Amino acid sequence: MTSFAQYLRAIWCIFRKDLQVEWRGRQGVPVMLVFALLVVFLFHYALQLSPGLQAGLAAGLLWISLAFASTLGLNRSISLERENHALDGLLLIPVDRSAIYFGKSLSNFVFTGLIAMILLPILSLFYQQNMFHPALILVILLGAGAYTGLGTLLSALSIQSRTRDVLLPILLYPLALPILIAAVEASRGILAGQPLRDLQTWLLLLLACQILFSAAGLMLFETTLEE
Amino acid sequence: MHKKPPLLTLLDVLSAISFTAALALILFFTPTELTMGPVQKVFYFHVASAWAGMLSFILAAAGGIGYLATRKTRWDWLSLSAVEVGLVFGLIAILSGMIWARPIWNTWWVWDPRLTTTAIMEIIYLVYFLLRSSLDTPETKARLGAVYVIVSVITVPLTFLSIRLFRTIHPVVIAGGGGSVFKMTPRMLLAFGISLVVFTLILADFVCHRFRLARLNSQEDEEVS
Repeated sequence: MTSFAQYLRAIWCIFRKDLQVEWRGRQGVPVMLVFALLVVFLFHYALQLSPGLQAGLAAGLLWISLAFASTLGLNRSISLERENHALDGLLLIPVDRSAIYFGKSLSNFVFTGLIAMILLPILSLFYQQNMFHPALILVILLGAGAYTGLGTLLSALSIQSRTRDVLLPILLYPLALPILIAAVEASRGILAGQPLRDLQTWLLLLLACQILFSAAGLMLFETTLEE
Repeated sequence: MHKKPPLLTLLDVLSAISFTAALALILFFTPTELTMGPVQKVFYFHVASAWAGMLSFILAAAGGIGYLATRKTRWDWLSLSAVEVGLVFGLIAILSGMIWARPIWNTWWVWDPRLTTTAIMEIIYLVYFLLRSSLDTPETKARLGAVYVIVSVITVPLTFLSIRLFRTIHPVVIAGGGGSVFKMTPRMLLAFGISLVVFTLILADFVCHRFRLARLNSQEDEEVS
């Protein structure tokens, strides 16, 4: 096997392992989902939202709850490895350690994407508007990809600190601001019925975030985890 | 204890003198702006400190790259010093901007790209210290700190770009087209250019002092242990 095929295989194995752990334990996604719903409820009353929601508010609500819930998943994904020193086992895999980064990013992306797909019909129901647009799903894929890509890298930083889980949100939220702004704006435009061409800039910005943060993960993840 | 290097003393004197000179220039040499009045003079140091802050955050990222490439602690001292000094300059930029904005925009704060980006930048680099203080060994502090400053320097321009795509009311000083362009007279331009140079000098001076402090600190730690 060539080394690149080995690399891809390592990514796939880590990804599959994460999904398996989640499937057997079912402890991550349900927590994320309930949390996302709670955020929706909190914001509904905190901001006194009306059922016929404006496009901007609906987009904001979607992304705020996704971003918060995703943080829980990111924290859990890395602290699982920390327990019982599973991380040491991962570090022994004889491939470049960025494979761990891509494997975990991928599984975090799937979990966050899953939450989004469950959240969409619920929000559509609560706020009496159809939020199922193919374009919105594209934006969610791009946004969630960039967000979990950055989050996975930062979770490897926070796990080594004394404050652990507490640190991740404050590392992640300020740095993820461009992703959230672009994602919210693109979603708002789509929900308001703007054609996709007008929102090109935001999609490109999301794509740029995705590429830049993946590149950062590729280059920096190995250094982050060395002990 | 190491004696203070004479070059550093020279830099101290140089920045003190040039700062006073720039201040005098702004107060007595530059004309008073027609519509905004004397408060416009805040502009010279406001832009200069924003510039110095930006420069020092780039310097911090350079320190991060240097550290990861060489694993020499002095690169980490550079990052640490640059972030700390950059935070102060960023704060000065925000506060002086507020002083100007109150009479001109009739509000202390607007959610404009430059303001918001600067504020977020301040938070990002404050978090740098939270990250460092929650790590145990100097080695992890340096290594993870380096990773963090590099990622930060990627996202700050993206943040600016993303907020910029909303409309801005901040005056555009340099760069052509769009927005409320503010035209400077030659005297203003001169004072502006000098302010930039002076603040760069002060930045260098502060970073050198902070760097020296970091080095003395680590030497003391070694002697204790």
